[in-house]
Amino acid sequence: MILVNKDTKVIVQGATGKMGSAHTKRMIDYGTKIVGGVTPGRGGSDIHGVPVFDTVAEAVEKTGATCSCIFVPPYLALDAGFEALAAGISLIVLITEGMPPNDTAKLVAAVKAKGAKLIGPNCPGIITPGESLIGILPGSIFKSGPIGMVSKSGTLTYEIGLALTDGGQGQSTCVGVGGDPVKGLEYPEVLTMFENDAQTEVIVLIGEIGGNAEEEAAEFIKKNIKKPVIAYIAGQTAPPGKRMGHAGAIVSGGKGTAASKVAAFEAAGVKVAMTPNEVAKKVAEARKTPAKA
Amino acid sequence: MNLYEYEAKRIFQDHGISVPPSVRITKPEELRKVHLGWPLTLKCQVLSGGRGKAGGIKFPKDLNEAEAIAKDLLAMTIGGSKTESLLVEPRLSIARELYMAVLLDRSAGCPVFIASAEGGVEIESSHNVIMMPIPHPYHDFVGRDLAKKLGLSGGLLTKVADVANKLYRLFESKDLDLAEINPLVITAGEDVIALDGKITVNDDSVNRQKYFQGWQEKHLSDLSPLEQRAKMADLNLVELEGNIGILCNGAGLTMATMDMVKAFGGEPGNFLDVGGGGDQKKTLTALEIVNDNPKVQVILLNILGGITACDEVAGALVQFMEKHPERTMVVRLRGNNQEKAEQMLAKSGLKLYPDLEDAVKEAVAKSKAKQPVGAKA
Repeated sequence: MILVNKDTKVIVQGATGKMGSAHTKRMIDYGTKIVGGVTPGRGGSDIHGVPVFDTVAEAVEKTGATCSCIFVPPYLALDAGFEALAAGISLIVLITEGMPPNDTAKLVAAVKAKGAKLIGPNCPGIITPGESLIGILPGSIFKSGPIGMVSKSGTLTYEIGLALTDGGQGQSTCVGVGGDPVKGLEYPEVLTMFENDAQTEVIVLIGEIGGNAEEEAAEFIKKNIKKPVIAYIAGQTAPPGKRMGHAGAIVSGGKGTAASKVAAFEAAGVKVAMTPNEVAKKVAEARKTPAKA
Repeated sequence: MNLYEYEAKRIFQDHGISVPPSVRITKPEELRKVHLGWPLTLKCQVLSGGRGKAGGIKFPKDLNEAEAIAKDLLAMTIGGSKTESLLVEPRLSIARELYMAVLLDRSAGCPVFIASAEGGVEIESSHNVIMMPIPHPYHDFVGRDLAKKLGLSGGLLTKVADVANKLYRLFESKDLDLAEINPLVITAGEDVIALDGKITVNDDSVNRQKYFQGWQEKHLSDLSPLEQRAKMADLNLVELEGNIGILCNGAGLTMATMDMVKAFGGEPGNFLDVGGGGDQKKTLTALEIVNDNPKVQVILLNILGGITACDEVAGALVQFMEKHPERTMVVRLRGNNQEKAEQMLAKSGLKLYPDLEDAVKEAVAKSKAKQPVGAKA
């Protein structure tokens, strides 16, 4: 497993909002060590049995939290992220969708300068099955096992998670890095963590059209990753010039096509699956074949 | 949100970047009141690119010719975008053309300057393009660095640096995806003027920019009527050519469903992502939009609940089926509150497919079934 386990102490920024509250409860029910919530002006109260604090600094001081899951509205996300960083949070999971990209760029720069880690924005979060769920993923889909998963998508991660679990392939950790053009953790960092993780045997990478992160990941895998990687690219039939939901999912000027990404992966020795069920099949095949020397 | 050239130039001017004198007209006879000398430049105001190549820019020599040309230009549609008005400008005497833009670069993870000493051309095909990451916080020396890299010196260096600094500051203060000047011209008298401009406002930021409040509705002319409806309902719709209307939650899953439909021999009629956390009302709106696409014969609804509660979706489905009992539907529903959703849908006779591949195959089969012909009642 990577990044989070059953001992990871998590606070929720925006825990008393509609979405924050609902998911705080689901995370607690899953077994995640939620130690508090933060809502300015609501300090001293509690939610789903955990204390609410006015500031992240106070929450960290009283609970020893190292991770914050952020559910605040898009225009407050930059401030919430800076507050978490200033309080010494080392892992920020930013669920919020619709954060202005110029804000994201500023937060990403600050996170890097501080040596912290950011997952998201516009992401489903992270799950180490049976240990910790931070975000909005449906916990029941995932089971513990040797497959590491990194994805730009939310629901597609659930779909492929479902196919893996149904096929008897449990997961070490699944990281939803989000579909925005500028984001915190990117493929290479997560791939490296899986490469160094004893539990992970096979890595599943879920990408989509737009940008060149998949091409860069392919290059990175060729040089640095020995464990087998199975890739899936969404948007093979997307028309050029149209933004397919995610802010980053657009083929423009002939760049960012699924074909270019598939070709890059194949050239790097990465098997590419064409459907979610095929991902599960290729994972099973990869586990039967001996690992690369 | 893409802006018209005249709007971009007004913003440039407000931020201290020089633009040519101009008049905007919507009728040819308005040219009689224009006194900018001859020849004039007439430019179609459209939201799409490729205007020059499509013949949307003309240089009439006198009033007679100008009125005739204006009539034609005002009737033009370029790349699906109708001409909204014409921008009338004098023809400048140009010594040199540059290219300058600020945009957010996803690989660099920050805004960057893109610039070239060869303006007026398509930047993708130019070989001398400078790409310079922009540091935060910003300082004016960055503009001077850029001007230096463009090979400028003397008075021109400071003038072009000034434009760069102003362009970045308006990019940041107005929350833009793109601020582009192409070409940035240097006149015989060494004035630096933005001859053409393109601005794309970041869609996620529009609501915090007072300046752009209420602009979205009049900047949708490059979208189809259904795409416009979807956009105003905060849904992501892309229309396609086939007959299977696809409606899912989440962009990745919607794309994957579309790809599977195609892989199993079907033709997607649209991409529609209702987003995470879609409630009953939003789901119903989405169903109605797909239903109103005349090409669509089968609606494939694929919801895998993470944030989305299946019972909310089921509620929308029950309402929709009451209104449109004739519609062929294939429904895959799985996730949060699934049992409750199944109970709600049991009465409507809709079969639920827990497996996506089965649902896609069924939708493809139904899309190929012969439609009843000549069944006159």
